[in-house]
Amino acid sequence: MILYGLETEYGISRERPRPDYDVVAESIALVQAATQSGVRMRWDYSYEDPHVDARGFRVDALRQDTDEANYFAQDAARPLSFSEIKSDLALKNGARFYNDHAHPEYCTPECRTIADLVEQDQLGDRLVTECAEELSAKTAERDEGRVRLYKNNTDFQGHSYGCHENYLLPRDLAWENVSRGMRAFLATRQIFCGAGKFGWEDEDRYVGPGFQIAQRSDFFSVMESVDTMQKRPLINTRDEPHADPETWRRFHVIVGDANMSPYATYLKVGSTASVLAMLNQVDPARLPQLDDPVGTMREISRDPSWYWDCDLKDGSPTTAIEIQRQYLSLVREVISEPTDGFQLEDWEQILDDLEKGPETTVDRLDWTAKLDIVSTFRDAENLGEEDPWLISLDLSYHLLDESEGLYYGLRDQGQFRQPPGVTTLSEGQFPPPADTRARVRGLCIERFGQHVEAAQWDHVRLRDKTAALELDLRRLFTPEAVAEAVAVIEKARRVADLSPLLFAKPFKSV
Amino acid sequence: MPESARRTRPPAPAPGGGGDDEGEGPSAPKVEKPNTDDLLERMRKVDPDQARRYRQRTGE
Repeated sequence: MILYGLETEYGISRERPRPDYDVVAESIALVQAATQSGVRMRWDYSYEDPHVDARGFRVDALRQDTDEANYFAQDAARPLSFSEIKSDLALKNGARFYNDHAHPEYCTPECRTIADLVEQDQLGDRLVTECAEELSAKTAERDEGRVRLYKNNTDFQGHSYGCHENYLLPRDLAWENVSRGMRAFLATRQIFCGAGKFGWEDEDRYVGPGFQIAQRSDFFSVMESVDTMQKRPLINTRDEPHADPETWRRFHVIVGDANMSPYATYLKVGSTASVLAMLNQVDPARLPQLDDPVGTMREISRDPSWYWDCDLKDGSPTTAIEIQRQYLSLVREVISEPTDGFQLEDWEQILDDLEKGPETTVDRLDWTAKLDIVSTFRDAENLGEEDPWLISLDLSYHLLDESEGLYYGLRDQGQFRQPPGVTTLSEGQFPPPADTRARVRGLCIERFGQHVEAAQWDHVRLRDKTAALELDLRRLFTPEAVAEAVAVIEKARRVADLSPLLFAKPFKSV
Repeated sequence: MPESARRTRPPAPAPGGGGDDEGEGPSAPKVEKPNTDDLLERMRKVDPDQARRYRQRTGE
């Protein structure tokens, strides 16, 4: 069984930002502008520990700890508490929305199907867009213009921010198999899930002009580590399952781009989940191993031939497409059809089409759609390959504004395919996934919001005059168990009515 | 990989181009192209200096 979710950090700015534009203050204000109902500033941080490493130890410090300490020191000068700076909002769809460092971050609820995940990701885009409109209206007197949000991963000056993926896996899938098994896959999947970028970067600097297929591939320099902000690793070893650690692990993928195209999100998460489901059913020795996965990831992203040649560990040459085909073939040996709605033939089709020519994929992939429309503009305006306007157009592709964003312009002309099973939720709809613990969390927030004392991915604490209960969600993963719990919560009028839940237990405040 | 071991690279496909139906091998699928006039107009309104002013803090 695999559950998954996405965490997206959005870029934030104004139409005409002043040089002293305060992205932190803006991000806080944006999160606080949310009108969607939820539980505000009651996220329980006491259960979070990003220092635990899946390789079996706990690191004393992360590379970013110094930076974070500096950020906190700067932010301490603000007339705001830590909770106010975070402004965490636990939402009735089971999602989390908060200010992470200096970016509004939306974390989808846990999803069991790929269609649910894509829909929940789109709800996040809608939520932050509504917040931007709200904040723009509140601050209309400012001469910097409206708030601008970008679903991308770079400011083109070496500052990257992430779109992380999370996959809940059985703990009995050995970490070594996950790490070794996923390296070649993650280094090469960017050929269909890269968001495209006009510019080359290093950590902390712009390098020069040039198109590449992924936004994030410039920012990875280590094979494996627990860090996420500096010296980023291809394989992130954070071991924070948000579930019973004896039974579950969470694979935290940090290399991916944020995708505007829902189809690219579908391919990215669907193929990754399929490979993870395959890992404990095949001999690890059959999985492809690259000679230099980290270096190869950057080379593939920047390869102007789009042949994506690379070397296997045994010295033999191959290509990114061939590696993806190997993974697909291994998945097909053990999985006739993924249970999450992902269709393996869509993965095969995109590989076939990329081989025929990337231009055949502009109806599904961000990088090809972006390159196509920006190149058309460049030719029409007779711009040079190094014209900085190209970078501004790149940024505009990711602008979350339906009337101005370039992705939306393409979408509204019907260019993009919709992934199978995905429906566009109408305005006002904000449902949780039907069959995961996120529905239990969301229902508690919707029905007992004022009585929710603390919320986290793996527990919710509620208190009223009748009872103080902690709902322990660490083992609540089967659809049947979720349905039984939902039936109890829907009938409950008081916190005490939740006592029959097998995972509810009384708690006392510390 | 030594450069000599690599296959001869074809010229990069022209963005927006279609498949070569007269060549050997499978033909590329036809992809419906949008009306670019409206899009190009939208793109002309993009401030060329927009990205230069765009500064973010490093995130995760």
